[in-house]
Amino acid sequence: MNSPHTLSHIVIAGGGTAGWVAAAALSRLTNNGETRITLVESEEIRTVGVGEATIPPIAMFLRLLGIDLSEFMRETQATIKLGIEFEGWLREGHRYIHPFGDYGRDINAVRFYQYWLKLRAFGKDVGEIEEYCLAAMAARHQRFAPPDPDPRTVQSSMAYAFHFDAALYAAYLRRYSEARGVRRVEGKIADVTLRSEDGYVSSLKLADGREIEGDLFIDCTGFRALLIGKAMGVPYVDWSHWLPMNSALAVQSERVADPLPYTRSTARPAGWQWTIPLQHRTGNGHVYCSDYMNDEDAGKILLASISGRPLTAPSQLRFTTGRRAEFWSRNVVALGLSSGFMEPLESTSIHFIQAGVTKLIALLPDKRFNPIERDTYNRLSIMQFEQTRDFLILHYKATERTGPFWDYVRNMDIPDTLAQKIELFRSNGRLFRFEDELFGEANWQSVLMGQGIMPERWDPMADALDVNVVAKQVQGIREAVRETALRLPTHQEFLTRFCAAPEPVD
Amino acid sequence: MTDKRVRKILIVGGGTAGWMTAAVLAKLLKNDYADIHLVESEEIGTVGVGEATIPQIGTFNRTLGIDETDFVKATQGSFKLGIEFVNWGALGERYIHPFGAYGLDMDGVSFHAFFLKHHAARYGPETMDQYNLQALAARQNRFMRPVNAGNSPLSKIAYAFHFDASLYARYLRKYSEARGVTRHEGKITSVSLHPETGYVQHVQLTDGRILDADLFVDCTGFRGLLIEQALKAGYNDWSHWLPCDRAVAVPCENAERLTPYTRSTAREAGWQWRIPLQHRIGNGHVWSSAFTTEERATEILMSNLDGKALDAPRHLRFLAGHRKKFWEKNCVAIGLSAGFIEPLESTSIHLIQSGVAKLMQMFPSGGFNQPDIDRYNRVTTFEYERIRDFIILHYHLNRRDDSELWKYTQNMPVPDYLTDKMALFESHGRIFRENEELFNDTSWFAVMIGQGLKPRDYDPVADVQSAEETAARLTNIRDTIATSATYMPTHEQFIEENCDARTYVPA
Repeated sequence: MNSPHTLSHIVIAGGGTAGWVAAAALSRLTNNGETRITLVESEEIRTVGVGEATIPPIAMFLRLLGIDLSEFMRETQATIKLGIEFEGWLREGHRYIHPFGDYGRDINAVRFYQYWLKLRAFGKDVGEIEEYCLAAMAARHQRFAPPDPDPRTVQSSMAYAFHFDAALYAAYLRRYSEARGVRRVEGKIADVTLRSEDGYVSSLKLADGREIEGDLFIDCTGFRALLIGKAMGVPYVDWSHWLPMNSALAVQSERVADPLPYTRSTARPAGWQWTIPLQHRTGNGHVYCSDYMNDEDAGKILLASISGRPLTAPSQLRFTTGRRAEFWSRNVVALGLSSGFMEPLESTSIHFIQAGVTKLIALLPDKRFNPIERDTYNRLSIMQFEQTRDFLILHYKATERTGPFWDYVRNMDIPDTLAQKIELFRSNGRLFRFEDELFGEANWQSVLMGQGIMPERWDPMADALDVNVVAKQVQGIREAVRETALRLPTHQEFLTRFCAAPEPVD
Repeated sequence: MTDKRVRKILIVGGGTAGWMTAAVLAKLLKNDYADIHLVESEEIGTVGVGEATIPQIGTFNRTLGIDETDFVKATQGSFKLGIEFVNWGALGERYIHPFGAYGLDMDGVSFHAFFLKHHAARYGPETMDQYNLQALAARQNRFMRPVNAGNSPLSKIAYAFHFDASLYARYLRKYSEARGVTRHEGKITSVSLHPETGYVQHVQLTDGRILDADLFVDCTGFRGLLIEQALKAGYNDWSHWLPCDRAVAVPCENAERLTPYTRSTAREAGWQWRIPLQHRIGNGHVWSSAFTTEERATEILMSNLDGKALDAPRHLRFLAGHRKKFWEKNCVAIGLSAGFIEPLESTSIHLIQSGVAKLMQMFPSGGFNQPDIDRYNRVTTFEYERIRDFIILHYHLNRRDDSELWKYTQNMPVPDYLTDKMALFESHGRIFRENEELFNDTSWFAVMIGQGLKPRDYDPVADVQSAEETAARLTNIRDTIATSATYMPTHEQFIEENCDARTYVPA
């Protein structure tokens, strides 16, 4: 028997990735025989779906939904992602990988990279830091196999996420959700009705006159933010002084080689370009700041540098980086682009949708809408959003690149939280995961070092062990990582065996 | 570049804080990195009475490579599965705040949600004990260390220790001296600061000796000889939330049974601790001078002992709160010099351990680096504040009307963080552990339910399981825990067979 206050009806406004991720998670986890779930979307409205690269928590999310990974990969033309290669971000010609998973292993409770820094200072041949990370080495050699459950093996340190076709992902989750009772309504939302007494949303009015009432509404209407923005007027906090990108051009291209198991991000004169390999094609996009580059030049740069014939005309996107002042207001929760936008530099868009809906389920209100749940949701979501913002700013701030755009970002003021983090690392190579932030020590270490911030000194705790003893251990790790990586099947072999997708029919 | 590396460390003050710090530095820095010195005086009594700990001390022992059995024997130690709180929610009520989790999370939903749904409004502390092996074993005076038993709760027994703090300090002193720490006997007469930088240069002893160092660790207790008297770090006073400012302590003869838990009994103007050791029981009464007198507080303590008092009662004064800066210039305060939170949840030793661990994380390499120091202070403040909120919860959440202290704490405004945490729980029984705060959701759940805060509703995610299925699975959990408890020997038996102090042979 459920409580009399249990929500009777959750209405999701908008399909696309956000809408269907929300529907899937809610249908699985609030399956109480009482709460109905309806999703309203229109086939006339194009979804944005550029966020095709993900980060490792997605595997956990899919498992929570009870989804079979091989089926999911087959259905979405997915490939494996072991990290991101940043090309030209420090300076032209430079490259580094921000891989998933850890570097080496801690020795005597001291982080591995501290020993690496020390040995390097002593003139030992320790190679590049990425030679100690299995995911990075596997990426270099285009190889992959899932992690080994035995924690004693090097293979247990493998960490991965996926690239996939966002439209196919939404379609897959739609089938999943509909099978679990989510009702899909085809229609365009024409108006949002607010209750006069308290401003709560009472219903959505569709263009054909139908009206959909509900208790809780989830705004997945993208940049338009029909509920949270247009109807309720929750303001937008603009971060474009820190992250000035405001345009993107995206284009799909023909597959010309075996897909790479990593995303590539290449710095451009006023922005950067992504390359996301799928099983059947490659996704490309150029993110730029229109104050420093016009659309025409941006398009030329994009088309001149993709491999394979373009399959579509480039599509144009405009955005303002920032977030909604509140993600949850009254009985409306914004998920996806309606809640805020951060460029896909670290592939966080889909993660924020997942994290948002998981948090919403953990704090699911009832018909009385106690404000404490809403306040907690907003506090936690905003904190994570801001921490990720800092991580993105780091990529622009720490660079030797020049030119009007890069000169601006290199010299701009940054949030104190980020300045502290950089300073702690620069002086003694120290890193701390700030509270519950999404990106951990290995992520920050990778990007800080990759962007040229090398600590002046190593942690003195690394001095407790004899240099020569440590050198031997470090060398051992380097060899073990290399040998493990070279023994893995190639990425293409893995895909063929595990989850080959059908050839797309044009 | 001149070498500004720390080559000499002076720990000022022995006691638990001083010797815990010395032991970690000796182990992790080795003596060829920096010389480690400790100065203490046998004339100055240490505060250390019977100490209770929390399971995190296991990490500390493992870091040092201490053999647990040897340590328990050497310190007259006993085992602790949690704390029993008597008379806190209301007179006549009691509950256990156990270590380890309740029940089992199912379908990605926390156990608490199923518990609250299944038991609806009909549950009390005894109902909860059935879902936690530590609580049930404590009720039955049983104990053993976890064994390798697959999925059984016997593989995950969570525990800590009670021990004699002066024996513990002695034990760690031996450990540290064997690893090259130099001990100086003497009382400090003055602290000298560098005229320009304000850094501590040296301390001078009564016999005129001067001890200098690059880094000083202030373990001088409440006085804060370096951090406060010399460096004027300042103090955040929390006594409006935690009005107890005195304690009186006395050991007594053992009772019949050696209980594997600490007991905390609320009294009219404070509370009394009971910490069972192998050779005696440590007792103390923490009280508020705003609500009672020393005479009355002592009388309450002395008339509530299990056996004959073994010593004269000792009196202590303190002020709840913490140093505004735990680390200032080249001095780090660890232990009571850093701050004071009453031992209601046995956090004193943990705060020492955590202070040393953070010092190791932020250890200065070439000179003192302000971002490191700022972070140390920020993170430590956060840790103190979250523990503070958990302690305040115990005082605030009561329905007593028999005495002024309890009426005051019931009605006082509490920190926002605590208000929100209670409101969130009251609404649908939800608890979020945030930012690695020390006490997890089990602890908050135990105390909130134990002191009578009942959620208005259960978390609707529990509806993901049918009521029948939940009932069956909860029955199964209770049965498993009840059966598991029968495999455990009594606490006395376990100690006699494994770590009897009378068999201690110093290495």
